[in-house]
Amino acid sequence: MINLVVALPAEARPLIAHYRLTDKTTRGGFRIYRNAGMSLIISGPGKIAAAAATALLGGCNSDAEQAAWLNIGIAGHATHATGQNLLAHRVSDHATGKSWYPPQLFDLATTTTSLLTVDTPENCYHRDLAYDMEASGYYAVATRFSSAELVQCFKVVSDNREHSTAAITAESCAQLITRALDEIDPLLGALSALSREHDSWHAAPAGLEQLTRRWHFTVSQQHQLAELARRWKVLVPDQPLWLDTLDTRKKAAEALQCIQQHLDSLAPGLLQATHEPGV
Amino acid sequence: MFSIIYIERQIADHPRTHEICARFPNATRVECDRYGEVFNPNAQNFRLQKRNPSLILAEKHKGRVLQAPEGYGLGGRNNYYFSHMLNCLYDCRYCFLQGMYRSAHYVLYVNYEDFENDMGTILAQADNEPCWFFSGYDCDSLAMEPVSAFVQHFLPFFSRHPQAHIELRTKSTQIRGLLKMTPIPNAVIAFSFTPEEMYRALEHKVPTLERRLQAMLQLQQAGWQLGLRFDPLIYQHGYQGQYRRLFQQLFSQLNNEQLHSVSLGTFRLPRGYFRNIVQLYPDEPLFAGAFSTENGMVSYPQALEQEMTAFCTRELLQHIPESLLFRCTLAA
Repeated sequence: MINLVVALPAEARPLIAHYRLTDKTTRGGFRIYRNAGMSLIISGPGKIAAAAATALLGGCNSDAEQAAWLNIGIAGHATHATGQNLLAHRVSDHATGKSWYPPQLFDLATTTTSLLTVDTPENCYHRDLAYDMEASGYYAVATRFSSAELVQCFKVVSDNREHSTAAITAESCAQLITRALDEIDPLLGALSALSREHDSWHAAPAGLEQLTRRWHFTVSQQHQLAELARRWKVLVPDQPLWLDTLDTRKKAAEALQCIQQHLDSLAPGLLQATHEPGV
Repeated sequence: MFSIIYIERQIADHPRTHEICARFPNATRVECDRYGEVFNPNAQNFRLQKRNPSLILAEKHKGRVLQAPEGYGLGGRNNYYFSHMLNCLYDCRYCFLQGMYRSAHYVLYVNYEDFENDMGTILAQADNEPCWFFSGYDCDSLAMEPVSAFVQHFLPFFSRHPQAHIELRTKSTQIRGLLKMTPIPNAVIAFSFTPEEMYRALEHKVPTLERRLQAMLQLQQAGWQLGLRFDPLIYQHGYQGQYRRLFQQLFSQLNNEQLHSVSLGTFRLPRGYFRNIVQLYPDEPLFAGAFSTENGMVSYPQALEQEMTAFCTRELLQHIPESLLFRCTLAA
């Protein structure tokens, strides 16, 4: 699952069209657009709105194991030309001084920058970095739902020392995002692949539901079952989680013991791996 | 190698910072107040970050040289460990670093001189008694030598202080720097090994057994004292034949009379670290076996642990005298 957090309708329109986010709902006053693998929420301007929208989207999509998150929007920059695409390697909040450092794992063409979230539109550009009004609110909340590697901020420069914020229109904003799609696409592709891979590590083995339907497991027993399921998936990968001897077990504790005994009896064989020798 | 280098503001102008950054002219430099802002946040995934870790240059303010845990040593009474760097170039699946740290970024402390001062203080307080300083706890001692120049800087200190002994524990073949130096009798270059089958399955990005052995032979020929470290011992079906073959391969080529020490250690991790690692690698066969938890430490069941230690000890004593063999017995 990919979650997009976008401040303005003008920023969202090109993304909604490009990714065919045709399913539209309204939750808590926020408009959300979806397709099967992506959700986009329009937060409105400001970091508090961005934080609220991010929290709402995270809550709506809480089934997604580790969703990828991307905040997309326009930003000012002291020196970069308008239309320059930027990925934030540092997100700072001007009011609190707090900073976050989104890990940069991908080999992408997009230039990275420090991004400062301010409370009012920036017109002086004192420091050589990007200025926006949402990223810190979004980032602080999104990283409560997903690991930082899957949470990124993508900005397109809309204003600088030569071109003031006064010149920004809905039309120019939409055009900037449209032109940035050729760099947004590979970023989303990389994030999505990473998110899917992460989810695959934690997929439950087949047959687990059969067990949970048959016996009532206490919370503690559920943890034990999860651990046994993990081991099962590694040691008996081609078989669903079931043993014939479980048929006669009346209680969850007996079922757990039966599975554990079976797994403990399987001596770890040759460890299999794809190996990459070093230098 | 690094697309991003994070730099603590207070050491932005440190000479070592400049030297290291000059090696990576295309890396983006990102300043931070303290390295913990980048390294410590909880919402990070070690396994994901290991794909492309960044470098963090920082200053170590305190706790630079620490007393080694009881049971860890090579016969000396005064044992210390220090880490000029956090995280390792290699990616061994049994390594505790995965469970201890949230971030896989490399942290390199540039204030080597402060580490030396602390060692000097310890030596002065030890009143000429030998002191051992173990390197390679939070990182590989040699793997990042071209970047860190760690050995290049620290060995002269040990050359000037013969009562200070250093162990450089490594799986690396970055020995060029050592081969250019005059060997000192108070330095032990200690190479870690597991059998070939386990190396292939678990020790990602580590040089091959054969290349490490060749590095050892070059060092031995140059006059350096060497150690062999079989730590942790890893269990799998057929381990006995695998370890036997490993020992034969190593001892048939090394000059055993020039070996300083051989040590054995069992696989054990603090429970919290083990839980973190299993969460990162739920699909790892190493962690699918039966483990036992006692006093907050996860290890193989005691009977298995004793069997493995006894077997490997017997096998090793066919190659080396008992005086060279040390068993690492870390308490919880």
